[in-house]
Amino acid sequence: MKHVSALVCGWLFALGLGMAGMTRPSKIVGFLDVAGSWDPTLLFVMAGAVGVGSLLFPWVLKRHQPVLEDRFQIPEKRAIDGRLLVGAALFGVGWGLSGYCPGPALVSLISFKVPIWTFGLGMFIGLGLGPKSD
Amino acid sequence: MAPFFILGLLAGGLTLAIFHPDAFGEIPSHPFGVLSLAGFLVGFGARTANGCTSGHGVCGLSRRSVRSLAATGTFILTGIATVYLVNHVLV
Repeated sequence: MKHVSALVCGWLFALGLGMAGMTRPSKIVGFLDVAGSWDPTLLFVMAGAVGVGSLLFPWVLKRHQPVLEDRFQIPEKRAIDGRLLVGAALFGVGWGLSGYCPGPALVSLISFKVPIWTFGLGMFIGLGLGPKSD
Repeated sequence: MAPFFILGLLAGGLTLAIFHPDAFGEIPSHPFGVLSLAGFLVGFGARTANGCTSGHGVCGLSRRSVRSLAATGTFILTGIATVYLVNHVLV
C-alpha cells in the first residue's frame, strides 16, 4: 500500500510541476533573469506550493505517526553550515545554466531527447558522487 | 519508497506528454559538456545541501525551516548570478 501511495504522490507531483510550468526551462531562466525580461510568475508557483504546504504540514504532523509508516522523518539539523551553503550555491549554478531542478528533470526524461538525457546523466553522476546525507 | 515515487514522476511525465505536451520546453542550447556539467552541479549540489527546490524551497519553507530558507536564498542568488553571466556578460 505504501508503494502505491508513493507512486500516486510522485505522479501527482509530476502533474503539478508540469502544469505550473516547472518543466519549461525558459520559465525558470526567465525568473532568474532579473536583468533581462524578468518573469516573476515562478514566485506564484512557489507561494502556492508553500502556502498549501504551510497549511498541510502542521495538520499532518498532528498525527502520532504516518498512516503507512512507523514514524515521520523530519530533518532535525538546525545549523546553517558550509556544506549547506556550498551545496546550495553549486545547485543554483546548475539550475541557472539549465533551467532544470531534479524533479522537473526526471519528469522531462519522458521526451527522450538527447539534451535532457545529457543533463540527466550528469545529474545522476552528481547525486552518486555527492556526500551521503548527514 | 523512493523508487516508487520516482516511478510515479516518470508516469506523470508520460501523462503530461499525452494530455498536455506543451508542458515541456527545451533545455538552453549549450554544448553537451555544459549540459552535463549543469546536471552534475544540480545533482551534486542537491546531495551536498541535503535538498533541492522541492526539498528546501517547498517542503522546508513550508515547515519554517531556517536552514531551508538559507539554502533557498543561496541557490536563487547563484542562479541569478549564473543567468546574468550567461545572458548578459558572456553573449
